[in-house]
Parts: sequence; structure tokens; C-alpha cells
Amino acid sequence: MPESTVAITELNKKIGRKTIIKDLDFTVRPGEVFGFIGPNGAGKTTTIRMMVGLMGITGGDVIIQGNSIKKNYKQAISEVGAIVENPEMYPFMTGWQNLKHFARMSQGVTQERINEVIRLVGLENAIKTKVAKYSLGMRQRLGIAQALLHNPSVLILDEPTNGLDPSGIREIRRYIRKLAVEDGVSVIVSSHLLSEIDLMCDRIGVIKNGEIIAIKDLNEVDETKVHTVKLTLEPKEQAIELLKLEETIKIVDTTDQIQVEMNQSDIPQLITKLVAEDIAVYGVDAAKSTLEERFLEMIGENVIE
Amino acid sequence: MNRIMSLIRNELSKIYIMKSTWIMYAFLLAAVVFSLVMNTVTDSVDTETSYSDDWKTELEEENETLMQEIEDEKEEDPFIEQRNMQQIEENTYRIDNDVRPSGYHAGNFVLDNLFGSSLINLFTIIVAGGIVANEFRWGTIKQLLIRPIPRATILLSKYIAVLLFALLTMLSLLVMTFIIGAIMYGLPSAGPETLVNRPEGLSHNGVMSEIMLQYGFKLINIIVLATFAFMISSIFRSSALAIGISMFLMFAGTTASVAMSQYAWSKFVLFANTDLAVYFNSMGPIREEMTIGFSVAVIAVYMLIFIVAAWSVFTKRDVT
Repeated sequence: MPESTVAITELNKKIGRKTIIKDLDFTVRPGEVFGFIGPNGAGKTTTIRMMVGLMGITGGDVIIQGNSIKKNYKQAISEVGAIVENPEMYPFMTGWQNLKHFARMSQGVTQERINEVIRLVGLENAIKTKVAKYSLGMRQRLGIAQALLHNPSVLILDEPTNGLDPSGIREIRRYIRKLAVEDGVSVIVSSHLLSEIDLMCDRIGVIKNGEIIAIKDLNEVDETKVHTVKLTLEPKEQAIELLKLEETIKIVDTTDQIQVEMNQSDIPQLITKLVAEDIAVYGVDAAKSTLEERFLEMIGENVIE
Repeated sequence: MNRIMSLIRNELSKIYIMKSTWIMYAFLLAAVVFSLVMNTVTDSVDTETSYSDDWKTELEEENETLMQEIEDEKEEDPFIEQRNMQQIEENTYRIDNDVRPSGYHAGNFVLDNLFGSSLINLFTIIVAGGIVANEFRWGTIKQLLIRPIPRATILLSKYIAVLLFALLTMLSLLVMTFIIGAIMYGLPSAGPETLVNRPEGLSHNGVMSEIMLQYGFKLINIIVLATFAFMISSIFRSSALAIGISMFLMFAGTTASVAMSQYAWSKFVLFANTDLAVYFNSMGPIREEMTIGFSVAVIAVYMLIFIVAAWSVFTKRDVT
């Protein structure tokens, strides 16, 4: 297997004189879920459109499994399954007719494969119903089924959680993790709602004004990083007094639980100290600082809608 | 080859899965039934008279009666002379050229329903105007274009689907009118012939070959307008615009070209050429120097322009 399934090199898009996408560079590895995040209008969808050949590329290239989308479009796109923006299907056809329609457009999609993807997304009961009657969640699932028909090694989902309720988002997250972990599919998900893709991504690329401003591996645990830790301690007052003495700990909030900021590596020591002072430790909750917070750190300002 | 067949199948299934398509066919059937009713309740078409083996004598007798009618009713009906003289002329032609009249039969009903092709023209414009634009409206164009298929092939499959729709609908009109005609008026005897007005005067032709000729010319007409609608649909992504302009041209195109016929350049106007039937009926082309070969060439050039325009825009555009 190659190092990367998708390699984007110095990708540029100009419309008129305006540069919409500027020197984009990133790669996605097999079996990896890559989150492509940025505020609305940053160029996520434009990038995705160029990746699947819906938009012309002004400069640079998109290489999918060694094939350039510009020069070997057919070979490159054969490896890609995608939903660009909303999962739009023919409303006057049933889910099954829609899948059959798209199956005919790729080589070697068998009847069994169609049934397999229907099972995978759990649409068995609704597959004979017209898409016009589908909920957004069902359409999203049919969209994923359609994107998976031809066994692509790269799955691109543009805002897959848009308009879904929390249980729908959980479900999508489950499919995506499953595809990446079990089938080794590279998944690229874009979103402007950070908290929604936080839990499904291995890495994220942050795009702002058409430029990648940061790429971060979410699985790395940063030991020296300051974390927010929530403590439930009894007696509370005595505990606060004690915490105030610690130089490396900053007390943020004491109204309900005691919330402090500290290095993760200092937590065991603190607990030992608390116990030594006869303070009952009911709970220590070291929240991994959320993607949203890190994202805000990266872009340095609050521009997220 | 296999791939393009699947694509055409996809396109046709999208056309025929829609209720609106079947409503079109219902309208077509209604038009045929209407013409049947008109045949029955009015006497505009003689569906009754039949002739025996001694048809020449019968026609001569008919001519005498017609002459007598002119004499008797000239005062009350100023048009009777023209009407009856035309019938007499036809009868005389039949006698002189040994063309046996076979009475009104299914073949005549098919020919009389040629007007139904105007409806088909309208329907094909609607289908052609929507086939690309609708994909943009539904948003499905994105799903359609991210397949390992060149855009030109997608467009070609859609164009072929439109042509097949026109052909299939014309064939249904033909079959529908033939079946209804056969039930109501019976089948003709072997090798029936019909009288036709040609530029050089009265002539005759086999009913089957005349049907093919007339329906064929209408089909060409339909295909030209459908290609135009298809182009507008592909370029502007708006079915309303495509259908609107094409329908306007369908109604006004021929009239406008006749109005411009005094200018020599008018012969290069598309709609001065689209009705090839004028070379086979008494109407004739709008300008004398025009020939059927010229008209075919003009149609071909316009069609090529339409197709190239649709192709060049569709294959290059950024889909958003």
C-alpha cells in the first residue's frame, strides 16, 4: 500500500483574479480519517470539488492512488466515493432505484454489493420507498451507500453531519470509524462544526481563507500541555486552600466543582497530596482539551459560526 | 459501448419513471380520441364510402353527381365549385392512372393524425429542456459527474435519450392511431395507395411509404427543436428558459421565416429549412432557389453548432 492514498500538492484555484485556494498541501494515509475543518467560506467545498473533478484546477494537482485527477481522471476518480455538499438523490425514485442508477455508472458493481451497502447503512426497510419521503438522516445514509458502491479506497464526505441530530451524528461517526479501521478506507470529512468531527478524526487540517494553517495529529497526547481538570473534593473549602498553595495550578472556577488548569503530568502528584491531607477525592476529570479550543488557538481568533 | 448503453438506460428510466411523461402520453391518446370523435360527429372526412371492383364506373358517376351539385347549388354556396372540382380532379386522376380508391382505413387515420406530432414536438422540447437542467436543479449533477465517465459521454447519453424519446413517442402515435384506426375503420386491402399533392401536381404513393415520409419529416422537425432546447438547457442550466425559447421558436419560427422570405439571406434561417415536407407538398420552400439538399445541409450545420456549443460549455464548466 502506498504511503498516502491522497496527495494534494500546491493546489490553487483562481476565479477571475481572486485566489480562492492558495498552495494547499496535505496527504491522507490509508485507513485514516482526516478532518478538514475551517469556517464557512474558507474553501473546504471548493477544495473537495477540485478533488473530485467538479471544478477545474488552476495550479497544482490532486493525486489519488498515484493517479492525477487532472491527467488520469478516470483511474483517479474510480478510487473515490463522495458526497459533495448535500446528499442529493433523485426524489422520484426509490432508494434502491437510486443505487441501481449509480451502480450502472461504475464497473463491476454487483447486485450483492448493492445489498451489502444497504445493509451496512441499515436502510433495508426503507430501500423500496421513494427518496422524497426520506428524512435527512436517511438521505445521508443513502448518500454514503451510493459513495461506497464501487468499493472506493478514498471516501470524501462534505459536511456529513450537517442537519443531523445527535444520534444521527453518532451513527455516521460509527460508519466512518468502521470503514477506516476495518476496511482501510481513507476518509476525508469536512466540517465547520468542530465538536462533531472531533471524535471521528485521526488528524485534522485547518483551512482559513483558502490556506492550510495547521495540520494536527489528534492521537498524540501532549503531556506538557495545560489541561482543564475538574475536581470533586470534600471538604471543598479546605481543598481550595490547599490548591491555592500549588504554583503550577491555576484555579478557574469553584462554584460547583473545582475547576483548575494544570499539566496532565502533575495530576498523580496532586492526588497523593490531597489524600495525605485527608481530603476525600470523589472525582478527577481531566478533560482532553477539545478540538474546538485547539482550533481557536490555531486560528487565533473566534471566527467559527 | 456497454457503458454508454447503461447510461442511456439510466436516462430513459429517469424520463419514463416520471408521472409527467405518462401525462404526456395520456394527452396524446386524448388527441387521437378527439380526432376519432371529430371524424364520427362531423362529415369533414368521408369515412363511409367504399368502392366495388367496378370502381372506375362508380367514380365517373360520382363526378357527374358532383358536376350537377355545382350547377344546382352555385347560388347558395360560392365555395362548392372549388371543393367539388378538387374531388372531380382526384377522381379523374384515379381513373386515368389506375389508382383504386380503398375507402377510409387505418392507414388514412394514421395520416390524418399527423397533427399529433405537434404535441410530440412540445413534449420532446420539455424533455430535452429538462434533461440537463433538472440535474442541476435536483443537485444530482454532482453525483452524476463524479463517476469514471467523461462528461462528454454523460452529455451524449442524455442527447441520445432525448432522440430515443422523440422516436419512441412518434412510434407510439403511429401504433396507437393504427390500432384505433384498424378497430374503427378496418385494415386496407393489400398495397393501398393514396393520392398526394406534390409540387408538380397530383400524384400517388403507397400509404405505408407516405406515412413513413410524413412522420419522418415531422421527426426531423422535432429533433431540430429538441437539439436547440437541449443546448439551451446545457448552457444555461434552466429548463424554463430552454422550454420557453424553444416553444416560442416552434410557434413563431416558420411564420417569421416566411415573413422574411423577400430577403435572400432568409434561406439561411434555420426555420426556413426545418420542414422538409414542403418539398413534397404543394407549398414549396419559401424561396425558389432552395432545394431539399440545401435544407438538409443548413439543418446539419445548425445542429452541429448546437451540439458543439452544448458540449463545450458542459464539459468545461465548474460545477458548484
